[in-house]
Amino acid sequence: MRPFKYINATTGEQALQAAEQHERAKYLGGGTNLVDLMKEDVEQPDHLIEIADLEYNSIKENKKGGLTLGAVVSNSDTANHPVIRQKYPLLTMAMLSAATAQIRNMATNGGNLLQRTRCPYFYETSMPCNKREPGSGCGAKKGMNAKHAIFGYSDSCVAVHPSDMCVALAALNAEVEVLQINGKTKMMPFEDFHRLPGAQPEKDTNLDKGELITAIHLPQSIYADHYYYLKIRERSSYAFALLSVAAGLQIKNGIIASAGLAMGGVAHKPWKLTKAEQFLKGKSPSEENFQRAATIAMEDAKPLAENGFKVPMGEKAIVRALNQAYNRKV
Amino acid sequence: MKTLETSSIGKAIDRIDGRLKVTGMAKYASEFPVENVVYAQGVTSTIAKGKITSIDVTEAEKQKGVIKVITYKNAEKLKESDEKRPAFTLTSVAPVLQSPEIHYYGQYVACVVAETFEQAQYACRLVKVTYEEDKPDIDLDKNRSKAFKPDDQADYSRGDVDAGMQSSDVTLEATYTTPIEHQHPMELHAAIVSWENGKVKTYASQQILNDAKTAIADTFMISEDNVQIIAAYLGGGFGSKLNVHKHLIMATMASKMIGRPVQITVTRQQMFTNTGMRQFDEQKMRLGANKKGELQALAHHTTSHCATDQMYYEACGNVSKMLYKTPNNAVTHRLIPLNLQVPNSMRAPGEATGSFALESAMDEMAWKLKMDPVEFRIKNDTQRDLGADKPFSSRLLVECLRIGADKFGWSERKMQPRANQNGNWLVGYGVSAASRRAPYRKTSARVIADMRNGEVYATIQMDGTDIGTGSYTIVAQTAAEYLGIPVKNINVELGDSDFPVTPGSGGSWGAASYANGVRVACKNLFSKLKQNAGVAEEDEVALEDLMKSSKVTSYKVVGTAEPSEEYENHSVFSFGANFAEVWVDKDTGMYRIKRMVNVGSAGKILNPKTAYSQIIGGLTMGAGMVIAEQTQVEPHHGNFITRSLADYHVPVNLDLANIDVVFLPEEDKIANEIGVKGIGELGITSVAASIANAIFNATGKRMRDLPITPEKLIEASLEAGV
Repeated sequence: MRPFKYINATTGEQALQAAEQHERAKYLGGGTNLVDLMKEDVEQPDHLIEIADLEYNSIKENKKGGLTLGAVVSNSDTANHPVIRQKYPLLTMAMLSAATAQIRNMATNGGNLLQRTRCPYFYETSMPCNKREPGSGCGAKKGMNAKHAIFGYSDSCVAVHPSDMCVALAALNAEVEVLQINGKTKMMPFEDFHRLPGAQPEKDTNLDKGELITAIHLPQSIYADHYYYLKIRERSSYAFALLSVAAGLQIKNGIIASAGLAMGGVAHKPWKLTKAEQFLKGKSPSEENFQRAATIAMEDAKPLAENGFKVPMGEKAIVRALNQAYNRKV
Repeated sequence: MKTLETSSIGKAIDRIDGRLKVTGMAKYASEFPVENVVYAQGVTSTIAKGKITSIDVTEAEKQKGVIKVITYKNAEKLKESDEKRPAFTLTSVAPVLQSPEIHYYGQYVACVVAETFEQAQYACRLVKVTYEEDKPDIDLDKNRSKAFKPDDQADYSRGDVDAGMQSSDVTLEATYTTPIEHQHPMELHAAIVSWENGKVKTYASQQILNDAKTAIADTFMISEDNVQIIAAYLGGGFGSKLNVHKHLIMATMASKMIGRPVQITVTRQQMFTNTGMRQFDEQKMRLGANKKGELQALAHHTTSHCATDQMYYEACGNVSKMLYKTPNNAVTHRLIPLNLQVPNSMRAPGEATGSFALESAMDEMAWKLKMDPVEFRIKNDTQRDLGADKPFSSRLLVECLRIGADKFGWSERKMQPRANQNGNWLVGYGVSAASRRAPYRKTSARVIADMRNGEVYATIQMDGTDIGTGSYTIVAQTAAEYLGIPVKNINVELGDSDFPVTPGSGGSWGAASYANGVRVACKNLFSKLKQNAGVAEEDEVALEDLMKSSKVTSYKVVGTAEPSEEYENHSVFSFGANFAEVWVDKDTGMYRIKRMVNVGSAGKILNPKTAYSQIIGGLTMGAGMVIAEQTQVEPHHGNFITRSLADYHVPVNLDLANIDVVFLPEEDKIANEIGVKGIGELGITSVAASIANAIFNATGKRMRDLPITPEKLIEASLEAGV
């Protein structure tokens, strides 16, 4: 590992200052991804700014009926929080499907949003990768891409975002609260937080340099009765999703009043299925409508050479997740 | 006079080294405190084929703590094989940093030695290597014209397979593939090496010390007497630590060059490219049977790969020579040299992969014959090893199948696939037969008996190793049995090459060899003491009384056990049967192994507890072959894209569900005098087939390519007749 300096920030302001002073500084949350990447020489920060001691360390219900998740609260504490278990069980289900108990104990909520792709070309420093080294090319596009994107990729990058938590947050229409360099706070809709690769795959998110995630806001709970997180993977735990679906349904008088749907493992960002959500709204929760929604959702899929399986698998996964969500006995 | 205690063997006692291990007191290779030690790390190639044109070490050497950077330009001259592609053996020399030639991605090109591990690792990044790159041979298909027959044992035939196929009522031709896999013991390959007065002393994670001693001595062109290896504990080997790998030679060279003890730990990433692997195997099977279900022909043709600079193959087809009765039999093995590291032994080499092909093919035949797969196997049982033309020393395969079927509830199985559905799950049952050679090799042991406070204590010394399987414990139990003293009075010292020579741990020969070596040493002790005391050899006298009466307070004797002529005249195998119930999601391709029943016949079980652990370990590895284990090669660059345990998936607890293990009571006195047979590799053998067969029974999809992943299940189509 390259030598680096360590700074322990105790306030958000201090953290921002340190980040501004040091061009190649990185914030250190749980370190479950960043430290691995440093060992691999993929990330090469000269300073690590510890943010574990910052004040963004609680989960609070807010006046509008939603919930605020502090950025440095651990994934374990978040997933198992009684209010989240009760009102946002979709989030609990997604988060507990991720990684291992040990990793979830270390990982923070802000860090989860910022974890980087598991594309093997990104990890192996001798391989071409535009995300790691802009301009070096995309090894996966013409190489091994079974685990890569079917939506929204570009010529320069076909990587996928690895998070489970973020797929649920996309379905739940969360917002991200960010401390800007000028000290002011801004709110970013979850859909605008992560970005598609385009010509700049080195940028995973729309955060500006030095900006710090302080919280995630969940709107009022509407999917607590009908929800499901389906994660398809090779082994029963400690594996990234080949593909995943977060589904939430709000049923009123036998009709779908609102649907929250997102997929993981298919794009550079958590992939919100907006068209399918809109289709389902006002429909009856029938197998037929679920199938139609799934077909709509997969219409734009453009599989690569090795990941054609993700299209039929994705379609079946959406139908299954919606069925499971609807039939869930509360 | 006290009567001899004769019940230590066969007791399910706890591991005598268990406490040391869980308290961190058991020392592994890299943990020995050695003064003045420095740290070596390897720099690896980033191309798969070509030549180094320059190496710039200036920046690396400038770093704080860096002592030396070794490359082919300044390396010590080592012994190299004269042949272009020498066969890989357990005593092979392992020259490193001898030339600018690159044979595979990840090959060592330099070694950095520094005061700390971190300094060495960082400086490795600063060594700048430039190459003249050639297009590597990576793709098996594109290089088929280079296939060659590796040695005289590679091919076998009896009768006429083509004629047998023609005269058969039902035939099958199918190809099965198994991917590159890696052993990945939890304990990384590691060593601490020092030189003193021309002698090498190394703490190294090695399974067979005597062979490693030869390899090190030969590589450095010194006498074997000048090499000592200590491997007190190993955190697993799975075959990858059978032979000496280049990191150990690199550390030994570094220590010699700088005159200080050198520690080396191979990183997990480097363990993909430099400490062995199982190769990709493509197995073509041809089977024919008459209407009664009697096999008329069986052919097993394997194509795999070796390195461009070294040769190794696992004999996948050997299982097809001996497991079933058939008049016509053919086995071939072919290798294609590729720019990948040389494969080596991994978890039942040959059997684990070969049995996947054979036992899947047997299931396919049973389905075509509309026969129960258990009955089909029993119908083709043989009590003679037709391949070796010898009788089996014992063979209880039919009993394993019958008892297993009964315990598993096999009679509930529906022959028609997709007939057993539970909600979204398709439920299937699968079976496979297992066999694994149970070798026994010449083994010596020293026993030292000491009289303390009126009690006899004994120390056993052997150069054997405990790779996590329980060798310490079974050696203590055997010594207690043959000395007639309690296990707690036995002190076992293993893993020092200065102790009497054993074949080490590997190839399922450890338990039988160690136990018999100890048996002979203990018997020799009695004989000598009886002679001294003037007691007749046939008189039964307790050790304590013997030592007291002859006023001996300490006595030391070595004994050596060797296979008998009867052993040589027989085929000695352990047998077993696996049963699996698998639930497959009808839409998503995800599946769960709900339960497994394994029945084994492996001679006398020295310790049912450690034996049970070995079998469940084997079943887990077999499940791993099916669920996820595979190392993938990048097609253009030749590197492995699976490069950590986050990418290389082994099963988690949740994948395994309920496992039931049964040992049939048996003593095979032809195998050896104690009647014990190895079980180290029996557990993994054919497990993959039983699970794949259960998946067929559940889904009607025949999965011939491991691992069986959700995407493959989604894309597979139904078998004819389903």
